[in-house]
Amino acid sequence: MIISEDKPIAEILESIENHSSIFIVGCNTCAAKLHVGGEQEILSMKSVLENSGKKVVGWALPTAACSIRSWDHLAEKDRSINKADALLVMACGSGASVISKLGTIDVFPSNNTVSLGGSYKGEVLPDQCKMCGNCTLFYFGGICPYSQCPKKLLNGPCGGCSDDGACETDNDKECVWELIYKKLDEKNSLYLLERIFEPKVNK
Amino acid sequence: MIYMQGSFVDKIRSRNFVITAEITPPKGSNPFNAIEDAALIRNLVDAINITDNNRGVMRMSPISLGKVLQQQGYEPIIQMTCRDRNRLALQSDLLGAAALGLKNFCIMTGDHVSCGDHLGAKSVYDLDSVQLISMIRKMESGFDFSGNKLEDPPEFILGAVSNINPLKKGQMLKLRKKATFGLDFIQTQAVYDTEMFKNFCKLIGDLETPIIAGIIPLKSARMARFMNANIPGIHIDGEIIDRLDMSKDPIQEGLDISCEIIKDISDICQGIHLMPVGQHLNTQKLLKQAGF
Ligand code: SF4
Ligand code: SF4
Repeated sequence: MIISEDKPIAEILESIENHSSIFIVGCNTCAAKLHVGGEQEILSMKSVLENSGKKVVGWALPTAACSIRSWDHLAEKDRSINKADALLVMACGSGASVISKLGTIDVFPSNNTVSLGGSYKGEVLPDQCKMCGNCTLFYFGGICPYSQCPKKLLNGPCGGCSDDGACETDNDKECVWELIYKKLDEKNSLYLLERIFEPKVNK
Repeated sequence: MIYMQGSFVDKIRSRNFVITAEITPPKGSNPFNAIEDAALIRNLVDAINITDNNRGVMRMSPISLGKVLQQQGYEPIIQMTCRDRNRLALQSDLLGAAALGLKNFCIMTGDHVSCGDHLGAKSVYDLDSVQLISMIRKMESGFDFSGNKLEDPPEFILGAVSNINPLKKGQMLKLRKKATFGLDFIQTQAVYDTEMFKNFCKLIGDLETPIIAGIIPLKSARMARFMNANIPGIHIDGEIIDRLDMSKDPIQEGLDISCEIIKDISDICQGIHLMPVGQHLNTQKLLKQAGF
């Protein structure tokens, strides 16, 4: 799941300041699950824009904004899209990028994309993967230090981890290496920690 | 204990006791204050560590200040962190330092950008400290990171840093990984709990790497409490804090405490590393008091 968040409304209004007829595109996958691009959020965005003097000509909620066949396919959902002079995409950057390919109309993102995460037992989990292109997740008990350690450390923790296990960069966050150690200990797999990892091949 | 002034490299190699001290580069282009600070410990220490944008606060390059201090007759140890440079920049700085005659390096991960004064800067960490040490050893063997041949391979004296808490098992394991590439010395986090330090030395004794114990003289009970609460790996006993609290001259009391620590551990380690907060105003006094 791609984690994205609402942009401040003032920033959105500033970005579309030269456009008057807006069509809103949401995303019924990640953004809807995270309540930043589902039907309810589209409707409340619509009324915010209208209250700010914009005309909202219509809206669509494709299954996934990042996987759209064509403009016509999107227009099938609501023909009024052809009257718009801008699209506001309530989805991740990937969704907004794909929508931007559909034509020459100006496309504005209304979300800030922050990480590739997930959700488990109702809790949103950010930064589960940084898409490094060479998955080594198993060796860390299923907890990826490349994604979850702010220093991307593959060979063990930094010296900044506090005695009670908090990360140097955030007292409220447990050092991911503490979590990895505990998980591998539980699995009787501490031997995995002895492996020396080479630097990642950056893309 | 026998302590004689001499080349840091020779002493480390011949397993003699060394004294090192830390200096922070200036936030500006004039090295004068750092030179003045170094002058306070001239002939008292074997080498001077120069920090690398310590705590993520941008300062003068430690390689440049290292050269300046070397020209003044000091032996610098350049600290090198993984935070600010990718593998190309690290290697080119290492070769440049070698060309300037700077061969002593102390490798560390580096405090995260979010600790410092340039929030929002990119935290690089292209390599971690284990990988950086491994890359440097590869350079010494005549090849760059990618395996291209180096003309005139450099030679370095390489140190690493470590926490002293044996219960920090992840960190202990990481230290072992660093040691597989050959460490010439280990400089530790400040020692206040000498029993913990002794256990640490025992735990990694099989590595047979010279251990240089970190010493930070305390200046007040407040400083001690602050360090306990905010500096990872610091364990200052309540008894020490009480002594500082009750003392009429807490600065002297702090020196007395450091002196007792040094005496207690100097037989089991191969040196001390002095990292006073601020300038080296009391370093001479402390060393004298400790019998050096
Ligand atoms: S190692 Fe981590 S960042 Fe790389 S693909 Fe696997 S989970 Fe993603
Ligand atoms: S404290 Fe742990 S999670 Fe935080 S930067 Fe250091 S190693 Fe990474």
